[in-house]
Order: sequence, then C-alpha cells, then structure tokens
Amino acid sequence: MSKILSNEKVQNIIWGTAGLLFVLIIWQLSVAFTTMGRVIPGPFEVFKSLFSYIFKPMGKYTLIGHTLVSLTRVLVGFTLSAVCGIILGIGMGCSEKINAIVRPIFHMVRPIPGVAWIPIAILWLGIGEEAKIFIIFMGGFAQVVLNTMDGARRVDPTLLGAARMLGANKRQEFFKIVLPYSVPYIFAGLQISLSTSWMAVLAAEMVSSYKGSGWIIITGMNNGDTVQILIGMISIGVVGLMIAFIMRIIERLLCSWRIQGQ
Amino acid sequence: MSKSIKYKLISALSITIFLLIWEIATDVLHIKPSFVLPSPIKVFHVLIVKMTSTSPDGSTLPIHILASLKVALLGFLSGAIVGSPLGILMAWNKKVDMAVRPVFDLLRTIPPIGWIPIMILLLGIGTQAKVAVIFLCSFIPCLINSYTGIKQTSQIHLWTGQIFGATNMQLLRKIAIPTALPFVFTGLRVSLSISWMTLVAAELLAATKGVGYMMQIARTIGRADIIVLGMLVIAVLGSVLFMVLEFVEKKFVKGWF
Repeated sequence: MSKILSNEKVQNIIWGTAGLLFVLIIWQLSVAFTTMGRVIPGPFEVFKSLFSYIFKPMGKYTLIGHTLVSLTRVLVGFTLSAVCGIILGIGMGCSEKINAIVRPIFHMVRPIPGVAWIPIAILWLGIGEEAKIFIIFMGGFAQVVLNTMDGARRVDPTLLGAARMLGANKRQEFFKIVLPYSVPYIFAGLQISLSTSWMAVLAAEMVSSYKGSGWIIITGMNNGDTVQILIGMISIGVVGLMIAFIMRIIERLLCSWRIQGQ
Repeated sequence: MSKSIKYKLISALSITIFLLIWEIATDVLHIKPSFVLPSPIKVFHVLIVKMTSTSPDGSTLPIHILASLKVALLGFLSGAIVGSPLGILMAWNKKVDMAVRPVFDLLRTIPPIGWIPIMILLLGIGTQAKVAVIFLCSFIPCLINSYTGIKQTSQIHLWTGQIFGATNMQLLRKIAIPTALPFVFTGLRVSLSISWMTLVAAELLAATKGVGYMMQIARTIGRADIIVLGMLVIAVLGSVLFMVLEFVEKKFVKGWF
C-alpha cells in the first residue's frame, strides 16, 4: 500500500514540475515570438528582478519589507475580527435574545464586502494603518460570526442533556461542550475570513497606500512596469500558499480529535 | 408562537433604535460633519435624487447598477460554465486532471484582486478587463467544488451501476453528477460572493461606470452620502443575487433526489 502511495506522490511531483515547466516555456515562447513581448516581460526577466528586489529597495522597502507590512496589517485586523466575531457568534448562537437584538443590524452589514468599505474607511480614518485594519476587520468579521453561530447552534442536545443530568452548571456546559463542539466550525470560518482579509488588504493598498504588496502592484500599473506587477503577483501567491499551509497545520493541531473521527 | 413574535418585536425595535441613534448623532448632535457621516435621511434623499440625476459622476444610479450587474453576471456565468464542467471532467478523467492541474494550481494561488492591474494593462479599463478578472476568480471555486463533489461519489454506487451494465457516460450522468450537485452549488455560491467583491474592487480602481466607480468619485469629492448609498446598493444587490441562486439551487437539487 505504502509503495503505491509513494509511487502516486512521485508521479504527482513529476507531473507538477512538467506542468510548471510547460507554462514557463509557453510564456517564454509567446514573449519571444509574438506581439505579447511588447506588453509582458519574459519569465527570466521577472525572476531575475524578483531576486534582486529581495535585497534592493523598491520604493521605500525591499520586497520582503513590503510583504511583512501587508502581513502585519492582516494579522492585526484578522485577530481583531476573529476575537470579536467568535464572541458575538457564540452570543448569537446561545441566546435567542442577543440574536434577536443583533440580527437585523448584522444582516444589514453582512452583505457589504470588505472592499466596499474602502472609500468610507478612507474618509473616516485617513489612508493610514487604522483604515486598513478597519477594512480587514469588516471583511473578515461576518464570516466568523456566521460560522461560530452555526457551530454553537448545532451542539448535540443529547450531550447538553447528559451534562445537565450529571450536574454541570452553565459555565461548565459552555466550556466543556458548546465551545469544543463549535471549534471546527469556528475554524472553517477563520480560514475563509483569513483569505478574504488577505484580499481586502490588497484592495485597500491598491486604492491608497505607500507601502505593502498591493502598493507594489498598483505602482507597477501606474508606471506601466509589468515586471513589477508580476513580481507583486508572484509574491502574493507565495504568501497565500504559506498562509494556507500554516492554517492547515494549526487546524490539525486544534481539531485533531475530529479529523481522526472522520 | 408568541415567543417568536416577541423576538421579532425585539428585532424591529433594535433596528429602529439603531437608525434613531444614527439620526440623532448626525442631524441633531452633529458629532461628525456630514461629509464624513451622513444621516440616514440624507442617504435616503440622495437615493431618490440619484435615480434621475447624473451629477457628480456622469450616470444615474440605475445605469451604474446595470453596468455593475452586467459585468458581474458575465464574468460569473462564464466562470461557472467553464469551471464546473472542467472540475467534473478533472475528477472523472485522470488524464485531464494531470494535464490541467499544474496550470490550475498556479492560477489558484494568486488572489483575484491581484489580477486587476495586469488585466487593465492588457485589456484596458472597459468591460473586457473586468469580465476577465471576474471570470478568473469565479472559475476557481467552481472547479474545486465540483471536483470535490465528484470525488465524494460512493464507490459502492459506482460498482452497483457497473454490475447493472451502465456505460461510463451513464455512470457519470446518473450517479456521479447527482452526488456532486450540492457541492457544485456550494462552489457557485462561493464564487458569486467572490465575484461581487472583486467587481467592487475593480470598479474602485479603474472604471467609467458602475457602483464602485460612483463610490470612488464620491470619495474624492467628499460626498459620504453617496458612498453610504453605494454600500447599501451593493449589499442589497448582493443579497438579491444570492436569493436568485438559492432559488435555482432548490429547484435543481430537489429534482435530482
């Protein structure tokens, strides 16, 4: 069995690299032999300047500096929205009263995507860090609330009944049953909200900023510098992959009991 | 029954209080100047005015809405039409999977908003660039979800089908696709919400029409009432699109089971 598995893995890697090479070759050929070359630089040029910008500043910071700026913004905004979202979501899921009070306002705000908050956030908070964190917060918040609420609502009533019968008080009920039961749901919500946050920060930086990954792309566009746009896109892609990878590891750590059960 | 009525009353009360606080904070107390935080009455007023007036951004509200809807639906539908069948094909046929997967994995890592500038450079700021960006971002969740859906098909069902002599095509049409359908619709829902968000971002960056463009112009001249109006319009349109999709889903998925 293990032999078959490893064989499949090897095959996947081979096909993966072949596909990647294929894309790069097509890219290079189309740049070299068609009119595409006037608009888009070849892969060699892009990767060469990608590596040079790791040490050479682009605007104010190096490529890594810009990426870190964006990541910090995402982390602050995402943490805020996760904490507030989980608290509100559990409140709405556990108590009908809180749900009735918050629901109409929440459903008015929820369908507004984070990106749509950009203009008003700039008017309210300027183009500094606060505006960006606010945009990320608004972008990620709703999804966390929805998922947490869903998780808290789906708690198995038999479990709650059993706990009550064995004499658990409200607090124990909450910390021993409701909270662990909703962790997988909360986590699914966090994952979605993290990827929306990452998108929202890019959009916010594109509309107005002077540093960050989105700034790299938009400055490239304004200067007609396609190399810079592509560098920005590649670095964003790499960061996105890393975030997804880290989240998967954390999920495995936090929800291991659920994965084993499946 | 009476309990649910009580909670509905609380909900109605809470939204009224919210609007009242908003109104008092703006029109009565003037906590923030009106170019920063408009009152709800002012927003409602501008909604009526914008229905016929073209100032300050050159089009009336219905034209902006139509422009946005057209771009969003074109991009979303073309993404769904290409993405879902391709996902099904990839899950059903290993060769297609191997050929498409590396390119797809490469495309998938870049968030849709990252595509906007390069598309604008390649295709201009018209409809084409936006449709292309939305196509790219709606195509990806559709593909992933329909792929997962087909992979969920129970092997036992497939074996049963084979024993009764179903052809490969019949297995796909009668067993695998019905199993995958709920997943396909999940993909459609995800890609609809991403499409809508990307559209707004694209219009904020470069456009000549559309709700996002209206908000962007309003920001540069400090008309917060139009911005809030734009946000509400985006929220309402997004919800309506979702309702339509849910309606379609109910029709289709019920028919299969």
